[in-house]
Formats: sequence, C-alpha cells, structure tokens
Amino acid sequence: MEEKIGVYVCECGPNIAEKVDIERVLAAVSSIEGVAVAERYKLLCSEEGKKFLKENIEKHGLTHLVVAACSPKQHELTFMNVCEEAGLNPYLFQLANIREQCAWIIEDKDEATEKAIRYVRAAISRVRYHIPLEKKEIEANPDVLVIGAGVAGIEASLLLASRARKVYLVERESSIGGKVKGFAQLFPRMESASALLEPKIKQVVENKNIELMTESEVEQLLGFFGNFVVTVRKKGGEERELNVGAVVVATGLQEFDVSGLPQYGYGKVDNVYTAGEFERMNSPDGPTQGKVLLKDGRAPRSVAIIHCVGRQEKGYCSRVCCLYSLKLAQYLKSKIPEVQVCQFYSDLCLPGKPYQRFYEETKGKGVDFIRAEKVEISEGEGGVAVNYSSESGRLEVRNFDMVILATAMEPAHGSAKLAEILNIGRGVEGFFIEEHEKLGPVSTSLEGIYIAGCAQGPKGISESIVQAEAAAGKILASLVPGRKLEPEVKVSEISEAFCIGCKTCISVCAYNAITFDELRRISVVNEVLCRGCGNCAAACPSGAARHRHFTFRQIYHELMETLR
Amino acid sequence: MEEDFMPRIIGFLCKWCTYAGADLAGVSRIQYPPSILPIRVMCSSRVDPLFVISSFLRGADAVLVAGCHPGDCHYQRGNYYTRRRYAVLRKIFEELGLEADRLRLSWISASEGRRFADVITDYTERIKKKGPNPVKKEVFL
Repeated sequence: MEEKIGVYVCECGPNIAEKVDIERVLAAVSSIEGVAVAERYKLLCSEEGKKFLKENIEKHGLTHLVVAACSPKQHELTFMNVCEEAGLNPYLFQLANIREQCAWIIEDKDEATEKAIRYVRAAISRVRYHIPLEKKEIEANPDVLVIGAGVAGIEASLLLASRARKVYLVERESSIGGKVKGFAQLFPRMESASALLEPKIKQVVENKNIELMTESEVEQLLGFFGNFVVTVRKKGGEERELNVGAVVVATGLQEFDVSGLPQYGYGKVDNVYTAGEFERMNSPDGPTQGKVLLKDGRAPRSVAIIHCVGRQEKGYCSRVCCLYSLKLAQYLKSKIPEVQVCQFYSDLCLPGKPYQRFYEETKGKGVDFIRAEKVEISEGEGGVAVNYSSESGRLEVRNFDMVILATAMEPAHGSAKLAEILNIGRGVEGFFIEEHEKLGPVSTSLEGIYIAGCAQGPKGISESIVQAEAAAGKILASLVPGRKLEPEVKVSEISEAFCIGCKTCISVCAYNAITFDELRRISVVNEVLCRGCGNCAAACPSGAARHRHFTFRQIYHELMETLR
Repeated sequence: MEEDFMPRIIGFLCKWCTYAGADLAGVSRIQYPPSILPIRVMCSSRVDPLFVISSFLRGADAVLVAGCHPGDCHYQRGNYYTRRRYAVLRKIFEELGLEADRLRLSWISASEGRRFADVITDYTERIKKKGPNPVKKEVFL
C-alpha cells in the first residue's frame, strides 16, 4: 500500500506560532517522500482540532500521522485516541515535541524553526518504520491472597472483601491480630489495643467473602498479575491450591535478637528485659497478670529504658521505639506512681502530629531523659548498673532495679524464604522492597504483588493502615470483577530465528519476564510480565530481542534524520 | 575555532526522568542552547551502544545519555546497566583514540528542569571549545 503520511503542526495558540515559523516548517517537510499532506492548525488538542485531525485522516486516507505540538506527556494519548477513532492504528503515529523542548527554550525564531524542522523530519523518518500494535486482553481473577493477619493484613482484607471478590487471609499463627494483639495500650492516646482490634477481628471472622486460613503458610506462587496460582499448606500437611489475581504481603516484623550484643547484659544480668518481654509482663493476660515485678517478686523502684538497642548493628532507625519507650514509661507510672523512670536515648525520633505532645506529656509525669552513648549493662550493687558516656563525654554509672531494652525491629522470620517464593526483592535491611520509594511505595517489582505494614519496614499502626488501604486501593482499581486486563503492548519479543540462547536478556531483566525454553534453546518473553524498558534489546548480542515501538530500526532512522 | 559553531549533541533521554526534566525546563521557560537533539527512550538502558557510535559516524559532535538518578530508575535498575555500558564505551573510545569527552552520562530527574538546562549549557560550551567532531571528516571525506 502506498505510504501517505500526514503532518500537522499545532500553533498551540501563540505558544508555538510566535516562536516557530510554521510556514517554513511546512515548506521544509511537505516535499519529503511519502508526505501526502502538511498543514497547520490553531489548537489540535481542542475538540475542533481533534475533529479536524480525524476528518483529515479519513479524507486523505492517511497511513501514518505526525503531529508537531507539545510534549508526549501532554497529548500523546489524546492523538492516539484520535487515530483510533479514525480507524488508524494508534501506533502509526509520532508526536514531535516542538513546544516544551523547542519553542519555549529558544529566544531566536530562526534557531527555533531550524530545530523544529529537524524534530519533524526525524518524526517522519521514524513513523515510516512504525508497526501497528494491537491491544491485548486477558481474563483476570479479582480474588486476592493476603499473607499475614496483623493490623495491615486485616485492614487490607476487610477493604478488599467486596461482594464479587474473595479474599484468602493466610496466617501462620493459630490466632490473628499480629503484634498489636500483645499490646495492652497504644501510643499516643494510651487507648486499649483490644478495643481497637477485637471489632476488626470479629468483622474478619464474620465476613463471608474472607476465608481465614490460620496455621498456614504460602509454599509456592506461579503465574502473573490477574492469574496467580498459589499453594498454601496448613500445619500438619493439608495442601490447597488457590487462584487469585493479586497478593498483599503483610507479614510484619519481629524484635531483633539482642543476645548477640553482650554489652546489654541480656540473659546474663537479672531484671533486664526487652521491650517485647516487658509488654507481655504488663499485659493482663501475661504471666504476672499484668503486675510489673522484679525477679524476687518486689515492684521495681527504678527502671531504665535504653533506646536504640541494635540501631547501629541494623543500620536503620526502627522508627517506633522512641514512641513505645514513652508508652512503657506511662505503663510504669500508672501502675507504680512512685517509680523512677529514666530514658537513655541517643536521638529522639518523634515525627508527626501527635508525638511531640506525647513526649512532653510523658516527661511531665516525672520521667527523666538522659542523652547517652556507649551504654553497657552490668551487675550493679543491689540492682542493674547502666554504664554510659554522658553528653559531655564523661563515663557515668547509675543503678536501677530494672532495665528495659528498646530493641530494633527486623523483618519477621521467614521473610527471605517468602521473598524467594513470591519472587520479590528485599532491601539491604531485609524488609520487602517497594517498587519506588516515593512513587510506588506499596508496589513491588512484580505487578500484582503489594506490600503493606511492617513487612515493608518498621512503622506504627496508623501508617500500616495507610499502606493496607493503599494496597487494597491499587487492587480494587486494577482488578475489577468481570473486566479484562490490558497489558502493556510496547514490550519486548525475542526472535526465535536470531536467538542464540546466550541468556544475556534473562540476566538483565528486572521483572523475571524472560525464561529459557530448554527444548528450543531460546529465550522467551512473557508479555504480561514485561514492562517494556528495552534493556534486553540493548543487551542482546544477536539482535534477537526487539523492543516494540522502540525497535533498532525505528530509533536508528529517527537518529539518522535528526543528524542529517 | 569558528565563533558561531553550534555543536549537535544527541541526547538519549529516558521518558520518566530526564525527558520530563527537559519538559520542565521548557515549561519554566529556561533558555538553553539549541544544540541538544533529544531521542526519547523508555529507559536509558534501552540505549544500545551502537546508537552512540552511529551518532558519531553520522556527524554528531557529542552524545549525552541521561536517565533517572541511581536508585530512582522507573524500571528498578536499568540505569545501573546504562552506567556499566557507558563505562565500557568510554574505555573503548579511549582505546581507539577517539575523544571520550564527547560522551557524557548524566542523571537528571523529572523535577530538575534547571539542572537539565545547566547540563546542556555546560556541555555545549565544552564541545564548542573542542570544535566539530573529527570522526565525521575522516569517515565521510
């Protein structure tokens, strides 16, 4: 079929028209081979402009379209939709950015015009090699697997369990509620944890769309976004296969094992507890029915709380320790009003709206704060000795009846294995890593798998809930019951004829989208997993990997014409 | 050196960061030399070293490869591959006696419109001082 390229230059009101000599641009490109029509229009993105374009595509029977206007970020999609409406494959279109990267950055009209001509010529040269791409649709399962039934997992499950969707909530413990279940009260308002948690647990148990699977663990995950197949095993052997479209990982965290740090005397000096142990002692369901007692059965007259235990070893701030340390001081003060509480801190981390007030309120109850470094715990005279270096650098010793270690938080045990099963990454700290720290905070490297709560990093309850809601929102917005998924079409493909089976592409793919077909000895792209970065196309030594819409030919011809 | 020599610099810009940063420079009406000729790619890791070499053979006076800052890649780690390929390419240029300083790798984010303009201005000045690409003459004359 004869090539008929239409070139349309947008005036964009005065934005382009005043800076670029559009007549010169049209004159320069209208005689290029294959260009059937070259015209200008006052505002192509307007309703009339789109109508004008559509009519022109139909009238001239255009085979390719080039629009010279604003950045693709602004209106690439707008004009692709026009193509579609006019019956032209939207990928037979190229937008030349003569506004943001031309008209707006050059004062001299001649220079801007020269540059605009170059851009338009390059776009014409590129569009000739464009290949029509077809949208694909795949069936998607709207059901969701939530791993971990702490506050984040519970919140995500409750949000997700709408009528046409089933949620499988998998928990390895025998009961649900996670870490929060073990707390008596919550900072900063010191409200009862069970008053917050129990209604949520009840809702989960009563919700017909949530299938709770306790004492169960995920053993295998196959497939991709919209079509995962998960194997879950219940303690004792029973194995089940679940079909889900998405996964929320909310496996939480645990206390760092402080016995590896001998300077804190943990396990050797009596009456030294971790914050978690103290929390259990304080709990009405705990071994002392909530009474705070020393080993000899007396109530402590003085307690030291040591901050930042393990921070240096872990290499990160666990974010909630300062706040729960304040909470522990409040527990103590309310149970034993005359107790002396002293916080040994290195830096106080009190971010967010309510926490500065919480700190001042706690301090107001007669809690002391000492800035200390190099803290060491040893057997003292009639108690526990806290040896430390004060702010002035002096070495000091103070004796207490009891010491509580505010230990750092680390990923829940089994996180490494789960990361392998799910094929998602972990950061250097060991927590599951988000797709993008700022722009994709609950997504992971694998589409359809989300992280929420402390599985992503230490955080408080409110932030865990925020992430659970975000993950649920992502899933609710993308997996709609009855609607099919439209995967990215500008993905890679590997030519069977050219592939030499070197597997270079497999090693550079960040999405595990390429597998090796042992039988044919070639690499194969899973087009649903591929996100279309093009790394494999650049890495492939034989030219077998091809990045659709960014093929070697397309970029090469754009480049050659740009430099003509 | 000719006073009015305006170098032609091919810029392979990743769609998510640097191309968006260049758009921002435009939206902010920051003026910079017309030397830069952008080629938009999805990720800087799409830049086949052959594209860079082809640019020089075709007469480009310099090449800029630019993408997201390390750790910020939209595709997780594409820019780390770009960095390695760039290092190898520079080495090859040096070995062949080509001017490796006509090759530049920059990290420019979508919010760094000013930085984009500064990088282009600075690079253009350097290449102006160096003069036109000599490879072009050797190959085409």
